[in-house]
Amino acid sequence: MLEIKLKRHRWYKVGMVYLVLLLVSILAIGPFFFGLLSSLKDNPLEWPPKLTVNQLKPANWVAAFRLSKAGCGKGFFGEFAPGAVIPFQVTYQVPAGKEPVIPQVVVPKRVPGTAGAALLIEHYAADYSRVSAVQEVKREILADHSIRVTYEFTIHHTGDVVCDRLPLDITVPLGQQFVGATIDPNRPNERLGRVQSWNNLTAGVIPYIFYNYHRVFSENYSRTTGKNLFTSWIRNSFIICIARVLTNLLFASMAGFALARLKFRGKNTIFLLMLFSMMIPAQVTFISNYLVLRDGVFGLSRIFGVNTLLNSYSGLIVSGLVSASSVFIMKQFFEGLSSSLEEAARIDGASTYQILFRIFLPLAKPALGALTILTFQGVWNEFFWPLVVLTSPQDRFTLTIGLLSFRRMYGVAFDWGPILAGSVISALPLVVLFVVFQRYFVEGISFTGVKG
Amino acid sequence: MLLLRRSIKEKTAPYVLLSPYLFMLFVFFGYAFLRCFYFSFTEYDLFAPPQWVGFKNYLNLIQDFQFGLALKNSLQFAVIVTTLQTVLALLLAVILNQKIKGIRFFRALYYMPSITSSAVVTLIFMWLFQKKGLVNYLLTSLKNGYRIIAVFFVLLLMFQAFLVIGEKLKKRPVSCFEPSYLFLSVVLSFMVTFFLVKTGIVTMVEGLPPVETVWLNTKKIWPRNHRLFGISYPLGSIMLLNIWTTAPTFMLLYLAGLQDIPKELYEAAAVDGATKVKTFWYVVRPQLRNITFLVVTMGLISTLQMFDQVAIIGDQAPLDAVITLAYYVYINAFPSSVSPKIGMASAAAVFLGLLTLIIVLIQRIVVNAGEGD
Repeated sequence: MLEIKLKRHRWYKVGMVYLVLLLVSILAIGPFFFGLLSSLKDNPLEWPPKLTVNQLKPANWVAAFRLSKAGCGKGFFGEFAPGAVIPFQVTYQVPAGKEPVIPQVVVPKRVPGTAGAALLIEHYAADYSRVSAVQEVKREILADHSIRVTYEFTIHHTGDVVCDRLPLDITVPLGQQFVGATIDPNRPNERLGRVQSWNNLTAGVIPYIFYNYHRVFSENYSRTTGKNLFTSWIRNSFIICIARVLTNLLFASMAGFALARLKFRGKNTIFLLMLFSMMIPAQVTFISNYLVLRDGVFGLSRIFGVNTLLNSYSGLIVSGLVSASSVFIMKQFFEGLSSSLEEAARIDGASTYQILFRIFLPLAKPALGALTILTFQGVWNEFFWPLVVLTSPQDRFTLTIGLLSFRRMYGVAFDWGPILAGSVISALPLVVLFVVFQRYFVEGISFTGVKG
Repeated sequence: MLLLRRSIKEKTAPYVLLSPYLFMLFVFFGYAFLRCFYFSFTEYDLFAPPQWVGFKNYLNLIQDFQFGLALKNSLQFAVIVTTLQTVLALLLAVILNQKIKGIRFFRALYYMPSITSSAVVTLIFMWLFQKKGLVNYLLTSLKNGYRIIAVFFVLLLMFQAFLVIGEKLKKRPVSCFEPSYLFLSVVLSFMVTFFLVKTGIVTMVEGLPPVETVWLNTKKIWPRNHRLFGISYPLGSIMLLNIWTTAPTFMLLYLAGLQDIPKELYEAAAVDGATKVKTFWYVVRPQLRNITFLVVTMGLISTLQMFDQVAIIGDQAPLDAVITLAYYVYINAFPSSVSPKIGMASAAAVFLGLLTLIIVLIQRIVVNAGEGD
């Protein structure tokens, strides 16, 4: 009897532990989860905030596929092509005693987002479309005598040019309530519920679901070079990260090895200076470093025909070849290795370089793994220094600085969709890296005590 | 000859191996560090040659109202965030220091806030703290649902009291917060509350206005009317965000420390009849002293340099409410409309560097003094 009681006790205790763990998890990843969900929404600031998202309803996926198919014959990525006939149905409800009014259907000349996007649109669907007469197809009287009416109409493409989007506005008198449509509207409650708006009927499934993500890529082009900004930022971030990971791995192992295993004059001074440099804020050194890059590292860059290293990859790479914390990590690791191998190699006549590259580096795989992850994370997330070095043109930015420009551009209009979508994309590589190499993250931090 | 070449090669090897790092250390740290000192005594706009002005920049700094604000904000931020994130990190580590299934999964989950960039995290937080954002919505729900919450806690108290008293009547030793009973009480009272809400016996309060606190674009401070010690709403929001993002990093350090504590110590404490709290205070805490020192030092260094969050929030909050020393340095070096004031920026940077060193030093002395007893 006592045995069973004890067992049950233990079980409840574990239950309590899991309960606490779960509650804290909500705090830890709740903001990310809700941000991810809302990045799909038409309006991430809807009130009250909901966990249901139109873009995640399979019924809407099917509808988006069919509409896009009608628009251009393709279902996943659509447009409004010549000869297209788009069928559409919409249902309204009026309270008892009122007569339903046929809604007004308009294809508006509308551009989402910033003025920059307007410049890119060549043809407006409004100029090349005709809406057929709106017909009542079904009428239903509900238990409380209110009437529910379904209307049907088609939109025809009348011109001979391809339009990349087909927006739609439907207007009804006040009091006539929107119930449903072929596909859920993007803004169901414009002007006190009198107008229902769709951004793009023929978007296709992918742009429909990932509307904000699509905007991130499709609305941002450099004014000067015409390059797609967001893809440039991703590429820049990757190039700089990979280059700096490689230089850090090589140079930090070299320096760490020298500091940990070799005897030479000035060793202690260098080590103390290194520790000191880790305590001094970047704000102390950035002005001089800015000038050094501006003048091409004392004019050395002129050898390669480059006048200034500002606003360039090379500037960020040169100023971040190897960091003190990387050297510190490698030094700590090499100090922990036993010296018997080294002595044996020395007796065999191996040089210092051979000992480092043939014996110590192959043993340092765990440390190098941790260093790779920490450096990648550190560089990918770096903000202050790129903000100083990269100012123009916009397509030279890294992702973090790009996100800041997103904030400035979209944040003014409280248009949080693209900002959240951009944030999710820029967090993605690290999340993937973390899921795959979780061990290295944990080890890297716990065995060195230094964050990259 | 060959031998000589070989010996030269060996003699120079350390310096050759160190050369890339020495280049970085001398050019991008040492040279930069000395130049910052030099610039702080000059007037310089990045183009015309610097003009020596002596201590003028430092005198101007002391008189600059904005610098005072930046100093106040930075100190507030460093002290509050370092304290809270250290406590939270330790707490999280204690929670995670269990030997149960799936603990690795939870560890990964808890570490999530630390892996993403400050830009991403700040943007997500800015969105949560909007007037129509999730934070205000949750506060509204709490306000409207206070009856439900009260019912839940009353039930919880009743169930727990019932279980504990029942056990005590049977003369068994049991603490008031016995976790296995607590779990039972939580589950039971949740079920009963859920039933009461579903049947409409307990309802939300209707008709209250929603919470529409402006968190970022406001000059309000808390507590009100405390000019010197009051925390501005936007800075408070950044504090929450920062605690949330850095605590998991330090949690890992504490977790490693906790796992290094020998089992025998816990067993000895248990034999001596120490309670859990006492075991933690007298056995675990002293063992973690070194890690705490590391965590607090790293926390102070990074919080005193806080820049990213302020720069990203930018004009969405009043500058005076969020400006920190690091941001003060930046906007003096790269102001948006006037020419750069490198002298002022450098003087402020020197001040920030000294402040960091002094605070870390004080911390070290305090810890060393604490070790004596």
